[in-house]
Amino acid sequence: MSALLPRTAAEDSLGVSLPNRRSEEWKWTDLRRLVTAPYARKIVAARDADIDRLVASSPFASVKAKRIIIVNGVYDAKRSQLPRGEINAVVPLADDVIVGIGSKLEASGVSLVFDGNADLPVEIVHVATGAAQQAIGVRHTISVAANAAATVIETFVGEGDYLCNTVTEISLAEGARVDRIKAEVESPEATHLSHVIATLAATAMLRDFTLTSGAALNRQNGTLTFLGENADAQIAGTYLLKGRQHADTRLVVDHAVPHCTSRELFKCVMDDNARGIFQGKVIVRPDAQKTDGKQSSHALLLSEAAEFDAKPELEIYADDVVCGHGATAGDLNHDHMFYLKSRGIPEPDAKSLLIAAFAGEAFETIEHEGIRECLSAYAEGWLARR
Amino acid sequence: MLEINNLHVKLEDESREILKGLTLSVKPGEVHAIMGPNGSGKSTLSYVLSGREGYEVTEGSVTFKGEDLLALEPDQRAAKGVFLAFQYPIEIPGVATMQFLKVALNAQRKARGQKEMSAPDFMRHVKDRAARLNVSQDMLRRPVNVGFSGGEKKRAEILQMAVLEPSLCVLDETDSGLDIDALRVVAEGVNALRSPDRAMIVITHYQRLLDYIVPDKVHVLSDGKIVRTGGKELALELEEKGYADYVVKAA
Repeated sequence: MSALLPRTAAEDSLGVSLPNRRSEEWKWTDLRRLVTAPYARKIVAARDADIDRLVASSPFASVKAKRIIIVNGVYDAKRSQLPRGEINAVVPLADDVIVGIGSKLEASGVSLVFDGNADLPVEIVHVATGAAQQAIGVRHTISVAANAAATVIETFVGEGDYLCNTVTEISLAEGARVDRIKAEVESPEATHLSHVIATLAATAMLRDFTLTSGAALNRQNGTLTFLGENADAQIAGTYLLKGRQHADTRLVVDHAVPHCTSRELFKCVMDDNARGIFQGKVIVRPDAQKTDGKQSSHALLLSEAAEFDAKPELEIYADDVVCGHGATAGDLNHDHMFYLKSRGIPEPDAKSLLIAAFAGEAFETIEHEGIRECLSAYAEGWLARR
Repeated sequence: MLEINNLHVKLEDESREILKGLTLSVKPGEVHAIMGPNGSGKSTLSYVLSGREGYEVTEGSVTFKGEDLLALEPDQRAAKGVFLAFQYPIEIPGVATMQFLKVALNAQRKARGQKEMSAPDFMRHVKDRAARLNVSQDMLRRPVNVGFSGGEKKRAEILQMAVLEPSLCVLDETDSGLDIDALRVVAEGVNALRSPDRAMIVITHYQRLLDYIVPDKVHVLSDGKIVRTGGKELALELEEKGYADYVVKAA
């Protein structure tokens, strides 16, 4: 259908057709209309001072970690503490818009292979240095061997107007565990498109958390497939959005085998005219008996003009399963506010305390205390700047 | 300390009056009990004093330490020394009790032009008081009132009172839902706070609490007005005879 439409400048420069709202899963995020600038792949030289300043602005700068620095989509050998690794597709890529844009951009990144228990988290810091309307393509693979465990942070920071398109493939072998934490704190003018594609073998464990607080336009997809029994996945996220920011998360959790557990928890704070969307689809295949899948998304709307849309989709083909979803949206609880004020806490401080508590519930899913504290500090800063 | 004069209050979205000309004078060091049947306006009085939304004062005045209390926001009232121990303490998920106490105490100190309390001083300040009220470290780490039993919630309210050291304590049915042991702990906590420059208003339906917190004066609130005032023996009389004499007969 989009072939019938004239190509936009953005489609021309990216070399792909962008989906529009007539496509069900893009109905709240009409990329064709929303991405207007002619973003194009460019070789951009960055100044050392800019790179260092942006790397230091990562919310996780204080966390002891091994760091990999990606500058304008290119691996920075000088600043990175780990080798790049050989990218080899560990997961067959889905036929998907974001994956498609990535291949047009000849996206590159790092390949992390964990054979044992990694002693320190690995932080991949993605830096965009304000070159006009560049399109950045990133693609990483993370594979964790049987019974190995790792913590991987992906941080996105930048300046100026650019498009960052990122695909991360995660493959967990039997009994493997990965804790992945993503902070999307891109430039306020940026567009951020991402897709994380994960497969879990038997008894594998995925802990995934995403903070979405940067960029003007966000679309983050997640596709997770259980390949072996008794695997366990938790996908959590926090939105801290203001101005006219737009963030849309679409998750597809595919219970292809029995006895797996999935949890989704999204806590979304929207101020001003910001708009948040959460679309969560859970598929339970006919054989996937004893599936335990729960999904919840909660929005806190701090202004009359803020908006939240939630679309839970359950496709259940097995009969002995426990699946559920819940979505709420509202403003701050008046009883909570009165209680705090009655103890002497002024209204703005009481609000901040309650907003931080609301957003922080999703931080609690993260095991690494230092990372949790960094996120709390980020939220505090965000609230102070509101 | 507190002068309530001819106070008339209605709910904002209803025309029916709840308080119909309540007058009460409380001096520093005094403990006043306000007793009355259900629906007499006891809780409304506590909410109006603490500044809850939804109530409209149509007539009368409330003066606290010479200042118009009704003109102040709830947080300003708290900083001036008003504390309401809630009948049903509110659960606040995600805010640890200890953090809440610290933010509240320092906000009040700041409003009064005092220096914030340092972390070690604050820890000491809370620790002794918590121990006396049987509030465990675990409770202090948990979110405010979340998962607390009825008795734990009431003890936590009195702990807040002990930490914030208000000059006017309003206890709204603090005895409700407490067994006799919990009641004793709470009452001891309250009695420990009695002092010549602190006043208390103890709102209760039953006389039982007043065996432990002995009031200087007992008032009977009926149909939005104080209809009788006496000494502590009035509470015993009410216990014996009930509120039958004070309940307004339906027309």
